[in-house]
Amino acid sequence: MIEPTSTSLWPLLMTSMRRATRRPFQYVLFVLGVALGVAMMVSVDLANGSATKAFQLSTDAITGRATHRLVSGPGGIDQELYVQLRRELGYTNSAPLVDGYVNIPEFGDQPFRLFGVDPFAEPPFRSYLGGVGAGDGGPGQFNPNALTTFLSEPNSLFVLSSLAAENGIPLGGEITLDRAGEMTTVTIAGLLDPQDESNQRALSGIVFADISTAQEILRMQGKLTTIDLIIEDEADQAAIEAILPDGVRLENTAASSNAIQQMTAAFELNLTALSLLALLVGMFLIYNTVTFSVVQRRPMFAILRCLGVTGGQLFQLILVEAVILSLLGSLIGLVLGVILGRSLIVLITQTINSFYFVVNVRSVIVDPWSLGKGVFFGVAAALIASFFPALEAYRTTPGSGLRRSTLESKVEGLLPKLFGAWIILCAIGAGLLALPGRNLIVAFAGLFAILIGFALVTPPVTVTLMNWAVRPMNALFGAIGRMAPRDITRSLSRTSVAIAALMTAVSVIVGVSIMIGSFRGTVVQWLDQTLQADIFISPTSATANRVEGSLNPEVVSALTEWEGVTASSTARVVQVFSPQFDRPITVAGVNGDVSQGQRPYAWLPDGWDHDDVWNALATGDGVILSEPLVLREELSYPPEPITLETNQGAVDFPVVAVMYDYSSDQGMIWMGSDNYQAKWNDTEISTIALFIDENGNPDDMVDDMRRTFAGRQDLVINSNRSLRETSIDIFDQTFAITSALRLLATIVAFIGVLSALMSLQLERKRELGVLRATGMTLRQMWQLSFLETGLMGLVAGLIAIPTGFVLAWVLIYVINVRSFGWTLQMDLQPAYFLQALAVALVAALLAAIYPSFKLGQMIIASAIRSD
Amino acid sequence: MSNNKIIRFENLKKGFPEGNRIRHVLNGVSIGFDEGKFTALLGPSGSGKSTLLNLACGIEEPDAGDVYIKDVAITQLTDHDRTLFRRDNIGFIFQFFNLIPTLTVLENIILPQELAGKKRRDIESAAIELLDKVGLADRRDTFPDRLSGGEQQRVAICRALAHDPWLVLADEPTGNLDSKTGVIVMDLLLKLTSEAGKTLIMATHSPQVVTLADRVFRVQSSTLVEDVEHVPAARPQFIEDA
Repeated sequence: MIEPTSTSLWPLLMTSMRRATRRPFQYVLFVLGVALGVAMMVSVDLANGSATKAFQLSTDAITGRATHRLVSGPGGIDQELYVQLRRELGYTNSAPLVDGYVNIPEFGDQPFRLFGVDPFAEPPFRSYLGGVGAGDGGPGQFNPNALTTFLSEPNSLFVLSSLAAENGIPLGGEITLDRAGEMTTVTIAGLLDPQDESNQRALSGIVFADISTAQEILRMQGKLTTIDLIIEDEADQAAIEAILPDGVRLENTAASSNAIQQMTAAFELNLTALSLLALLVGMFLIYNTVTFSVVQRRPMFAILRCLGVTGGQLFQLILVEAVILSLLGSLIGLVLGVILGRSLIVLITQTINSFYFVVNVRSVIVDPWSLGKGVFFGVAAALIASFFPALEAYRTTPGSGLRRSTLESKVEGLLPKLFGAWIILCAIGAGLLALPGRNLIVAFAGLFAILIGFALVTPPVTVTLMNWAVRPMNALFGAIGRMAPRDITRSLSRTSVAIAALMTAVSVIVGVSIMIGSFRGTVVQWLDQTLQADIFISPTSATANRVEGSLNPEVVSALTEWEGVTASSTARVVQVFSPQFDRPITVAGVNGDVSQGQRPYAWLPDGWDHDDVWNALATGDGVILSEPLVLREELSYPPEPITLETNQGAVDFPVVAVMYDYSSDQGMIWMGSDNYQAKWNDTEISTIALFIDENGNPDDMVDDMRRTFAGRQDLVINSNRSLRETSIDIFDQTFAITSALRLLATIVAFIGVLSALMSLQLERKRELGVLRATGMTLRQMWQLSFLETGLMGLVAGLIAIPTGFVLAWVLIYVINVRSFGWTLQMDLQPAYFLQALAVALVAALLAAIYPSFKLGQMIIASAIRSD
Repeated sequence: MSNNKIIRFENLKKGFPEGNRIRHVLNGVSIGFDEGKFTALLGPSGSGKSTLLNLACGIEEPDAGDVYIKDVAITQLTDHDRTLFRRDNIGFIFQFFNLIPTLTVLENIILPQELAGKKRRDIESAAIELLDKVGLADRRDTFPDRLSGGEQQRVAICRALAHDPWLVLADEPTGNLDSKTGVIVMDLLLKLTSEAGKTLIMATHSPQVVTLADRVFRVQSSTLVEDVEHVPAARPQFIEDA
C-alpha cells in the first residue's frame, strides 16, 4: 500500500516568487486592487468611527459617572429644582450643568461646547478639574489658585492645555466666545492637562466655565440645562421623580446618548455601502489578474502535475498567493485609508454638524478594529475573486496544456448562463427591494444583486455589440477596424471582466449623479416654493444648517419696525423630547408661513387647503409634520396626534398637514408660535423672515441692517437670493464626500482596465510582433490599441447607462426614502448619460497609453520568439 | 565584397545577454546574396540562422554593422521607414505560421496590403488566385484555428507573397510540420517563388531542402561559411493541383 506522503507548498511558492520578480507588474496590479478597495473601506470606517468616537468621548466626558440626568424643554430647568434636590431630598449625588455651543475664533472653525459647572458638586461625577494646572504646578498638578480665579473672577475659563498651546494662547490670555453672534471676552484661568489620551481627545472640544459665567454667556440666567445624577436604587429614583415639575423628566444617560448616535446610522451606512462598491470593483481587478496568472502558468502546471503535484496543491498555491498578496495590499490599503480618512473626516463632520448633532473632530482615531476589518475584507475579497481561477488550476491535468483558447471557449459556453444569471439576480434584487419595511441593509443587498447581475450580463452583451461593430468598424478603419472588435471577443475572459469593472464604476457615477441631480433639483424647487420672504435673519451658529440660540428681542423689534418692511414671520426652533418616539425632535413655533401659500404638501385633510392649515396652526388647533418624520416613524395617513413633552407635561398635538421638507432627515414639527409659547413658556425667537415693500431693494436693505447691527449682535442676514445660494452650498458640501468616493471607484476601475490591457498585450505580444513584422507601423499598432480600448470603454459606457438608471431609481425611490425619508423627483438629463460614455471612453483610452507605449518598445524578433 | 549583390551584410555583429555575459551569435558577418536565387542557411539550433533573417528584414537591430537591401541601408532607417520598407519589399514566413487568429484566411493574406492602405476590392482577386494555387480557395472565409498545420503554413506562404515582394525570408517553414506535409509546403513555396523570380532566403534543418538551394551557407562559430562544393539538384516536379 502506498502511504500518503506529506507535501510542502514551498517549492511551488518558490516558482511564484521567481515569477513575481520577473513579471512584477501583474502582482503590483493585484496588490493595488486590494489596496485601493481596502483604503476606501477603511477610510470611510475610520472617518465614521472617529466622528462617533469623538461624540462618544465628549458625551462620556460630560456624562462622567452620571447614571441619569434631569432634562427639560428649550427653556431649561429652573435652578431652584437643584436647590430643592439638595435641601429637601438631601441628594448630594447631583451636579448642575449649563451647556451650549459657542464659536471661538481664536481656536479655529470647529464649534466648542461651553460647559458651565459647579466645581464643588463635580468630584463624584467628573475628575478633570482635579488636573487643572496653572503653568507653575506642572502638568497634572492641581493648582488651587486656578480654581479660586475660576470661581471668583467672572468670565474665567478652563481649557485643554494642548488646545491653548496649539493656538498660542497663554494662561491668563483672552479669547472670544461667540454665542449666537453675541461676543464675550473671557480669560483662561486654568489649563486642563489630563494624562490619558482619550480624555485629551474628549476635552479638546469642550471649554469649562463657572456655572454663573456659562448662564450669562448662554443667556440662561437662573436656568440649568441638565442636573446630573448618580442613582443607585429605585427608591431614590422614585423620590426624585416625585418632586419633578411638569416639563422636566428623568432620563437614562446611556440611552439618550445612544439615541443621538442612531441619528447618523443611515448616513453612515450609505457611505459604507459606497465604499464597499470600490471593493467590489477591486474584486474584478483581482479576478482578472489571478485568472491571467493561472492561464499563463497552465503549461507549467501541467508539467508539475506530471511530476506529482496534485490539483489540490495547485488550488492551494493560488489561494496562498492570493492571501500573501492581499495581505500586502491590505497593509498598503490601511496606510492609504488612514491618510484618506483624514480628508474624509472633514467632509463627514461637516455633514453631521449640518444635519445631526454638533461634534468637534480634531483628528482621525485609528481604531484597530477598523484596521482589522479592512484586512479581513481585503483578504476575503481576494480569496473570493481567486476562487474560480484557483479551481481552473485545480483542474489542470498532466496532459492538458489548456491555453487561452480553451478558456475562451469555456467562456463562450457560459454566455447563455450569464444572461440567465442576470435575469435571476435582477429578480432577486427586485424581490429584496420590494420587501416591506425600512430595512436599509436588505435594500442595499437588493441593489448589489442588481449591480452584480448587470456585471454578469456584460460578456454576452459585449459579444453581441462587437459582432455588430465589425462591419462598420471595417468600413471606417479597414483591417485594423475589423480586428479590434474581434480581438475583444476573442479575449472575452479578460476583456469582459475589465469592461464589467469599468461599467460598474461608471454606472455608480451615473446612478449617483442622477440621484444627486434629482435631489438638488428637488431642493432648488422646494426652496423656490417655500422661501418667499425677501430677507432672512438668524443669529450666527456653530453649524451651517441649524440655528442655535436666539435673536436679541431688541434686534427683533428693530427689524420688524424697519422702514420698508411690510410684514414679518418669526420662528423659534428648538429640540423637544417626544415620549412617543423616545427621542428629541425639532419643533418650530412660527407665526406665519414664509412660503405665502406656495408650500407643497405631502398630505392634507380632505377638503383642506393651505389657508385652513395655517389658520389651524395660528389658533393652536394642530401641528404640521415633515414628511421625513412620517416616514422615519412609519406613521400612517392620516397621522394620529403627536405627543410631545411640554412644560405642562406630555401633550397630544393633532396633525393638520404633512409637508415636504428637505432641511432635516430626522423630522420636524411646525406649530403656531402662541401655541408653542404657551406650552413651553419660551418667548425667544430664533429666526425672522421679512417681507419688504415691492419698491425696496433687499440687497441694499441687507447692507443697511448689517451696518446698523454691527457690534450689537453678530447676525446672519441674507437676502432671498443669498439664502438660496447658501442652502445650495450646504447641499453641495454635503455631497462632496459622495463625489470623492465616486472618483475613487473610477480610479479602481481605471486600474482594472489598465491591468486587463497590460495582460492582454502581454499575451498577444507574439501576435503583435507578427503584425509588426508583416508591415504594421507603430502608429497603426497604437491605432489598434486605442480602437480596442475605445470599444471596451464604449461598451462599458453603453451598459452603464441602463445600469446607472436602475441604480438611480433604486437610490431615489428606495434607499433614499428608507435612509432619509425624502421624496425626490427623478430628473433625467442627457448630460448624465453622455458623462457616462465620456468617462468610460476617456478612462479606457487613458488606460491604453502605457501598454501601447510599452508595445512600441518591443523588439519584434523577440516578440515573435515569445510564447 | 561585390556591390552587385542585392542583399549585403557588412560586418554584422549581434549578441544576446545571458546572465552577466553576452553570447555573440553573429560576429562580423559580411556576405552578399544574389537576386532571384534561393539561398539556404544551415546550422544547429541557436546558431543564429533566425537572427540573420530577422536582421535582414529589420525586425531586429544589429549591435554593429549594416544591412543593405537594394543599396538601402535598412539599419540606418527609422523604425517607421523600416516598417514601410519591409511591408513593400519583403515577405516573411515563420516556423509557427503566426496567422492572426481574429482574421479569416483571406483577411490574413491581404493584411499587409490593407495596412499599406490598399482597398480590399483591388487586392482580393489576386489573393484568391494565390489561395487557389495552394488549394485553399474554398477555405478563404475560415478562421485559422479551423485549419491544419499544413494548411496554415500554405496560408502563411500566400500572405508572404500576396503583396508581390521581391525578397522572401522563410524561417524553418517546415519545421513544425510532419515530413509529408513539409514536402508539399516546400514544393509550393519553391514553385511560387521561382515562378515569380523572387529572392528566397531560408533557414532550414532539412537536408532535402538544402539540395534544392542555389547556394548554401552554414552558420559556424558566429560567422557564415559558404558550402562552395554545393551543386543545386534538379527541382522535383511540382504538385500539379497545388
